[in-house]
Amino acid sequence: MFDFWYFLLRGLQLSAPMAYGALGAVYSETGGVVNIAVEGMMLTGTFFFVWGATLFKSWIAGLLFAIAGAVLISLIHGLATITFKVDHVVSGTALNILASGLTRFLSMQIFGMETQSTVNPYTPPTFLRINVIAYFFIPLAIFTVWLLNRTRFGLRLRSCGQNPWAADSLGVNVYAYKYIGVILSGVFAGLAAATLYPHQWIDAMTAGRGFLALAAMIFGNYNPLYAVLAAMLFGYAETLTYFQNQIPLLSGISPILIKAFPYVVALVVLAGFIGRTKAPKADGVIFEKGEG
Amino acid sequence: MRRVDTIKERIPLIELRGITKSFPGVVANDDIHLTLYEGEIHALVGENGAGKTTLMKILYGEYRADKGEILVRGKPVRITNPSVAVALGIGMVHQHFMLVPGLTVLENIILGSEPVKNVVLDLSLARRKIEDIMNANAMPVDLDAYVEDLPVGLQQRVEILKLLYRGAETLVLDEPTAVLTPQETSELFKTLKALKAQGRGIIFISHKLNEVLEIADRITVIRRGRVVGEMPLEEASKEKIAEMMVGKPVVLEVENPRVEVGEECLVLKDVVYEEYGVKKLDGISFSVHAGEIYGVAGVEGNGQEELLKIISGEIYPSAGEIHITNEVVNRIPPLGRRKLGVGHIPADRQAQGLFIDMPLYINAIVGWHWRQEFQKRGILDYKAMRSTASTIIKNFDVRTPSVEVPASALSGGNQQKFVVGREISFDPTLLLAAYPTRGVDVGATEFIYKQLIDEKIRGKAVLLISADLEEILALSDRIGVLYRGKIIKEFSREEATPEIIGLYMLGVKEE
Repeated sequence: MFDFWYFLLRGLQLSAPMAYGALGAVYSETGGVVNIAVEGMMLTGTFFFVWGATLFKSWIAGLLFAIAGAVLISLIHGLATITFKVDHVVSGTALNILASGLTRFLSMQIFGMETQSTVNPYTPPTFLRINVIAYFFIPLAIFTVWLLNRTRFGLRLRSCGQNPWAADSLGVNVYAYKYIGVILSGVFAGLAAATLYPHQWIDAMTAGRGFLALAAMIFGNYNPLYAVLAAMLFGYAETLTYFQNQIPLLSGISPILIKAFPYVVALVVLAGFIGRTKAPKADGVIFEKGEG
Repeated sequence: MRRVDTIKERIPLIELRGITKSFPGVVANDDIHLTLYEGEIHALVGENGAGKTTLMKILYGEYRADKGEILVRGKPVRITNPSVAVALGIGMVHQHFMLVPGLTVLENIILGSEPVKNVVLDLSLARRKIEDIMNANAMPVDLDAYVEDLPVGLQQRVEILKLLYRGAETLVLDEPTAVLTPQETSELFKTLKALKAQGRGIIFISHKLNEVLEIADRITVIRRGRVVGEMPLEEASKEKIAEMMVGKPVVLEVENPRVEVGEECLVLKDVVYEEYGVKKLDGISFSVHAGEIYGVAGVEGNGQEELLKIISGEIYPSAGEIHITNEVVNRIPPLGRRKLGVGHIPADRQAQGLFIDMPLYINAIVGWHWRQEFQKRGILDYKAMRSTASTIIKNFDVRTPSVEVPASALSGGNQQKFVVGREISFDPTLLLAAYPTRGVDVGATEFIYKQLIDEKIRGKAVLLISADLEEILALSDRIGVLYRGKIIKEFSREEATPEIIGLYMLGVKEE
């Protein structure tokens, strides 16, 4: 029997990692820093969650660890791209590779196993059978819309992603705002990690969800709310794969095809939309004071 | 403020004393003195690279002077960054506007000094304040429009509003008319005179002497980082300033005889170029004959870029026909067109005209590298390349230590002379000249004008695209006005005046 309510809730939970990742990316890219390190931040976050939770026997400690771990990676990204003017994509790629190695290394040191951790019993509480943290991404998206459009912080962050030289000429501390944008993307990647699978860390468990988050952000045209809706499109496409057996229409299709479904959705959606979306004008541009 | 009769006894709004600034290898400013009084427009003139912008960036806190001091209303100040300058009542409109394209006019104006009520931006307060300023100075702009959608003249107005919003008493405008039509320029001058009447001081940077003589109260000329003269308007003349700027007498009028025109070398028939559903070129038709210079006038962004690319072959038309020397070239790429005899002085010499980090002997043949004289058994003949480079340098008066240095080692004017020289040296039938004197000083401009006119006299067809209306008028035999992707009107040289062309450029008049 197809349990529609559970399908809705489960979809929310499966959307959450991508939605939080996409929201974080919106902050970073609004400030003009291209952030393909979201994948690496999320992966680091998942490991740190399990580490923190088992260490302090508390899911809250896990959450804080997850955020700290992801922020650590985001800080390296900020240092590389903002302070040392490294190409954003190069830095992001390097950090994704680093995150995969770092988590395996730490897992070996802490859990004595390279590709998975021990099982973590200290997971966030559930409400209506799903992780409570998954309920907050829509309110946070609305909050982000408000923050970016109605506050001084938002106006300045947007100006840094559009024309940092103009912002600089008006006394806006461009470097600081760019750092804040990147760090916030780390914070959100931490939240994403906490909703993915807090029970255990498994090697490469993010499985491209960080990249799907970026796809959602682009599909959502760098708008927080649309980005989250796009993430939900991918999330619910994934949910369908778990409910395959309950839906008569899908039961005949090979599970492999169904598993590929969310990625195909992402691909089709991006192929159709990528030319039409509007990235911040100076997204990915290296800012050097006084060069404008 | 105490009012004293003679200007000399008043305390200047701004006083620069002995400003000196060096960059590696150059002294950009050498012991510069400059004063600005309330209610005065002080023009700072000089060739490109003379050090005007550097001086103003020092005043605005973007650079630090090595030596010298700055006084604001008689008090020495240390301007360590633009915020300090703003707090002291100094505002600057940069040559390249410092606007955020994707934000609204209102957001651009308040950025950096936003009024806030309980964390939230107080947009209604900001709106009232800006509307007051707009009304007081007769400078209306739609505050909710996005800056990227505004024409250049209005963007500049937004820049000035930004300064007034911050309460600037001293306004520095760096080459403010470079991008404006004659009508927009006269609007700007009205605004500047109104601001002057309110007691504000304005530093007006320019190298357009007509404008300087129209608007300035006092003129300071700098050359190679030094002040070579300061005079009140009454003592100034065009010839005198030009000579001071260049250091030798300058012929300001170019001799441009008409010659017998030959056959059509370039014909465009209803050419359309569409991008993402937008018609960048919307049915363009015109032709350029051998022995004439055809000038395309227009406000930037009306299709100049696309027009140039479609003729050079970088993009292909969506509809219509392009003929070069009687051949339809619609789908022929740039190299094929060069082989038909198209020379191309591109709009941006550093991006397209030169491989900026490569030596001159390589830059001497780019675009023409396929020619037989540079091939030696299937590989490039470096000896021939070096001798070609030397010939260009000699014939076109390019100042460079050798042909081995990278193009980046040359000054802007010399880079441009090199590009012009290269394109002319290979004897093209059709020469595309886009913004041929952009960022080039008076001396080199004069030289480049002469080269283009000589080409015409030799019976070549020249297509000139420029944002500088004076340049178009000085060089062209016929002029077409480009507006929203169409040539909306053609003039012969005799019919054309800046005013009438300006009206068509703005789309006020249409055929």
